[in-house]
Amino acid sequence: MGKTITRRFGIMVPQIILLSILVFLLAKQMPGDALTGLLDPSVDPAVIESQREKLGLNNPWHIQYWDWITKAIQGDFGQSFRFKMPVLDLIGERISNTVWLSLATLILTYLIAIPLGITSGRYNDTLSDRLITGYTYLGFAAPLFIFALLMLWLFGFKIGWFPTSGSVTPGLEPGTLAFVISKMYHLLLPATSMALITTVTTVQLLRSEIIDIKHRDFIHTARAKGASESRIYNRHILRNALLPIAAFFGYELTGLIGGTIFIESIFSYPGMGELFFSSILLRDFSVMITIILLYGIASILGALVSDLILGLIDPRIRIK
Amino acid sequence: MIHPPPNDIPLLQNEAFAARSPSSLTILWREIVRDKIALVSLVFIVIVTAFVYITSLVLDQEQIVRVDLFALNKAPSAEHWLGTDYGGRDIFGQLIIGTRNSLTIAFLVTMLTGIIGISIGVISGYFGGMIDNFFMRVVDFFLILPFLMIVIAFIAVVPKYSIYSFTLIMTAFLWMGIARLIRSKALQERELDYIKASRTVGTSHAGIIFKHVLPNLSSIIIVSMTLNLAANIGLESGLSFLGFGFPEDTPSLGTLVSYARNAQTLESRPWIWLPASSLILVLMLSINNVGQALKRAADARQRRG
Amino acid sequence: MLNHRFTKLVLPVMLAVIVVLSACSNKGGSEPSASPTGTTDSSPSPSASAAAPESNDDGLFNVSDFNNIKTNEGEAIAGGTLNYGLVSDTPFAGTLNFNFYSGQPDVEVLGWFDEPLLTWDASYVYTNDGAATYEVSEDGRTFTFTIRDNVNWQDGTPLTAEDWEFAHEVIGHPDYDGPRYDGGMINVQGMAEYHDGKADKISGIEVLSDKQLRITYIESNPSLITGGIWSYPLAKHIFKDIPVKEMSASAAVRQKPVGIGPFKVESIVPGESVVFVKNPDYWRGEPKLDKVVLRVVNPSNVVQEIKTGGVDIVGSFPVDQFPDNAGLSNVEWLGAVDRAYTYIGFKLGTWDAAANKVKPNPDAKMSDVNLRKAMWMAVDNDAVGKQFYNGLRWNATTLIPPSHPEYHDASNPGITYDPEAAKKLLDDAGYKLNGDFRTKPDGSELTITFISMTGSEIAEPLSRYYVQAWKEIGLNVQLEMIEFNAFYNRVGDTGEDDPSVDVYQAAWGVGIDVDPAGLYGREAIYNFSRYASDENDRLLAEGLSEKAFDKEYRLKVYKEWQELMVQEVPVFPTLYRAKVVPVNNRVHNYYIGDGTDMYVYNIAVNADKAIAAK
Repeated sequence: MGKTITRRFGIMVPQIILLSILVFLLAKQMPGDALTGLLDPSVDPAVIESQREKLGLNNPWHIQYWDWITKAIQGDFGQSFRFKMPVLDLIGERISNTVWLSLATLILTYLIAIPLGITSGRYNDTLSDRLITGYTYLGFAAPLFIFALLMLWLFGFKIGWFPTSGSVTPGLEPGTLAFVISKMYHLLLPATSMALITTVTTVQLLRSEIIDIKHRDFIHTARAKGASESRIYNRHILRNALLPIAAFFGYELTGLIGGTIFIESIFSYPGMGELFFSSILLRDFSVMITIILLYGIASILGALVSDLILGLIDPRIRIK
Repeated sequence: MIHPPPNDIPLLQNEAFAARSPSSLTILWREIVRDKIALVSLVFIVIVTAFVYITSLVLDQEQIVRVDLFALNKAPSAEHWLGTDYGGRDIFGQLIIGTRNSLTIAFLVTMLTGIIGISIGVISGYFGGMIDNFFMRVVDFFLILPFLMIVIAFIAVVPKYSIYSFTLIMTAFLWMGIARLIRSKALQERELDYIKASRTVGTSHAGIIFKHVLPNLSSIIIVSMTLNLAANIGLESGLSFLGFGFPEDTPSLGTLVSYARNAQTLESRPWIWLPASSLILVLMLSINNVGQALKRAADARQRRG
Repeated sequence: MLNHRFTKLVLPVMLAVIVVLSACSNKGGSEPSASPTGTTDSSPSPSASAAAPESNDDGLFNVSDFNNIKTNEGEAIAGGTLNYGLVSDTPFAGTLNFNFYSGQPDVEVLGWFDEPLLTWDASYVYTNDGAATYEVSEDGRTFTFTIRDNVNWQDGTPLTAEDWEFAHEVIGHPDYDGPRYDGGMINVQGMAEYHDGKADKISGIEVLSDKQLRITYIESNPSLITGGIWSYPLAKHIFKDIPVKEMSASAAVRQKPVGIGPFKVESIVPGESVVFVKNPDYWRGEPKLDKVVLRVVNPSNVVQEIKTGGVDIVGSFPVDQFPDNAGLSNVEWLGAVDRAYTYIGFKLGTWDAAANKVKPNPDAKMSDVNLRKAMWMAVDNDAVGKQFYNGLRWNATTLIPPSHPEYHDASNPGITYDPEAAKKLLDDAGYKLNGDFRTKPDGSELTITFISMTGSEIAEPLSRYYVQAWKEIGLNVQLEMIEFNAFYNRVGDTGEDDPSVDVYQAAWGVGIDVDPAGLYGREAIYNFSRYASDENDRLLAEGLSEKAFDKEYRLKVYKEWQELMVQEVPVFPTLYRAKVVPVNNRVHNYYIGDGTDMYVYNIAVNADKAIAAK
């Protein structure tokens, strides 16, 4: 296992370097730069030009890249031009929001998926199975952003049960109970909206696993031995069916990335997705590059976690 | 909704049935005919597709995107069946052309990713060794890219992008799922005796790939491309919603839906966004129904009779 | 209140991002921000009719029907909390210091806890009502400022002349990373030498005593006293040990900012909200409110927030959502003319980087003034304003907008909509119809490339409307919608103009001083049309001359200049704009626009809770 991990990290390094070059080139190809937005006739163009010079924006790309990567290795991802603060500090401010949002979504996803998947798999071809399957079909077809928009409008504005923007009520002291509760309250609607849609893949997966395992020999054996039906489900089937679900945990994390971008944008929730958008619009390249890299690393780690869990569960699957 | 580009999850799901998968396309067809819902869905898809492509030949496109200052945000009427948008443009016409554009892009992306994915998958699965190793490293690299972000960054780079550049950008980052799927199947295929046999009789690699390997994989290819089609429609509308999809003067389902971002439109002018949203929902539902039926057909254990 | 001159950050909600015209006179950040001071003879009086402005029969509105001062209802209570919505689809950047910020959202935060030392009247001329007073020397170049005795930083430290000097030293420092080192700064004597490291001190700035400062400027002209002075001090006792290049990222700017304004920052959730409490030692007097809670509100949710009373007031309101909400029962709508205009420009040359000036090209495709005039005549901006904006944007006539009522020449009608006359003009000028479209006088094909910015949802239909209108008179115009950065790149913000662009649509936010040289002068890189003429040079120079200290003379010069622009049409203005904002009925003493003679510390409420719409 230790060897595998080392090898995986060995592959990771060139991947990340390649990714960083790709993103860097992309950034350089975009029309305009961080100073384009600062059109101001009262500022002498020569001053702007000297700022460009100072920021190294006029150097050839490989020199800029070299400057950047050598610093990045030492943990200095540069300065956000717009926010005028180190990129890492800026991301630090935002990332916790996104992490909390993802976590809440993940928990809700499983809270919804497990009972529905079990019911549907255990009693397949009954009415409740059909209802649940119907829901998964609908959830699969419904665009997340439309659903989220309607949720915001209905529960945020029409009924007014939930706050409609931000991540916390202004003025609360961080660390206090009220602060934590307010954070959770702000998370609830966006996370639920997202979980209701993203959960359907897991429900479907769980259902088909259960149906599959139900017909395996060892279940028949258990039944023949006289084990009670609930014992069979709880001890044998469920345990086996949940394993692949656990294995997809890592991928689930990667999948959340796409979703949070929509959710943050719709619920005005200040997280990484929002930061990414504004960094593209304002050509705040250092921020943009760092975010993409970070997400790249996250998806590598997600895949690694999944593979490791899978390897633990099923020794036949060797990860290369 | 935006599902992650179909990669590992469907792959592993498919793993279970792959070994036993029948090769005949007739089984797929039979399964669809048996499954009434899937049949209805298929008929619906065909009708919608035929309708929008034929109608849009007749419609005067320039007239539809024409701005009419004196007909802004009009409710549905005899003149404008589904009302008009904030530019006084007819929603019904835009819906037709938009559906056509969205379908075109989804088809194009599905076909292109299919061709690239299948080629790479078959080649690396069939030949194995160094070739396989190389392609799989490439696939691994593409898989770690955060799809939405990279696509958005690319779209920001292309100064004047069109349906075609949009298609190419999407394709560039969506071919890996199918490549991996096909590769793993091809890997299993090549170990089968008859392949080895025909190799010893001297059949060329190309001959084996086209005569034996691909036909055996056809049902899997069809299933995964059908599901990809639905996913691609969702992706297009999602990107348009975020403002990084179709160019503004090209109507699409996504751009029509994105009008709903304006709270005023969302609340009091449903005719602008509701038809497109419902159409996306129904289309994706139908394509998925067909896809699921095909999937069942490909999996002997779940076939209905 | 909370007026901002710096609307220059990309605000994708607007048609054509407004970029500030501050012209070399307004000196960057001399921000008419939080507390506009006023003269008593100021603009619209709070009239008796408190009700929301009525639209006329066609559902149209007119900015002159709006008050810019809230009508007070009932009795104000002591204390209370005001909820302020900062309307933005991005979080605020959090550079909370006038000396460093660069985005509009940050200004709205700044306006509550800090203010400039100098204030100005309705015509934007500095007054002696602010935290500091000034005297000018005979030659108009030397200013002596006196800070009032009771002006203190919110941490209790007295504000000194050294703080003011320190602000200049930091902005002029080579490591300074903000956008304030501009024409105004360089106009301070000795600033350039200091900036280049040739001097340790700025020779033109002299600290006379704790409370007295003297600044000498290189050049004196009428725009020096309308925004040409940097009047935002920097707390030396806090910043003196921080290296200049780390200042903008420091906690003193981002987490615990200290100002001199009526409210103090109590807590900040980065990017999303700020809680202010009153500063009882505020120099004008104790503020009436106990607390102000500011939070970012997305433009697509702003109506709901206002309806439910979630916010009492907002910094700005998307004008396209106004007509549907004009009748809201829980708010009064305030309105004022915005300091901005949208325009269409014609490319008439290129930028000569070596000589640092525009290089007109007499052979440019758009060089025929008749063609340009015809294109102006062909578009019905009156209809555009009425249909797209319900009258809250309206046909523009000259390049000095009515936000400067004295300088805007209301008697100049510009060029009016008349497609028939446009056709005739083109016929006479030799642009003959050949099929659907006209050819050039020499018979060759004429295809015009028109670029416009994406951003608001109106942007595309609006631009398309212009293309249609030009097609009506037989011009083949090809539209390209491009995003903000790419747009300015092609128009030539770095001096490298894209030769394929012939016509472009953009907008300028104008500064408090009218001098248009920064946008239309021969040496202005932002003169994107690359137009230049001797008459233009002469008028722009006259407007800043010694003689122009005489207001009547200056008025006359700019009137002539406006007429010149109508005759030459290097660009033509399309729309003027109004800003409208809703104010909850419980709020007292709120105002927008300049010269109202009202101050932030007087804002109050008459109930504990905001009123919700019925």
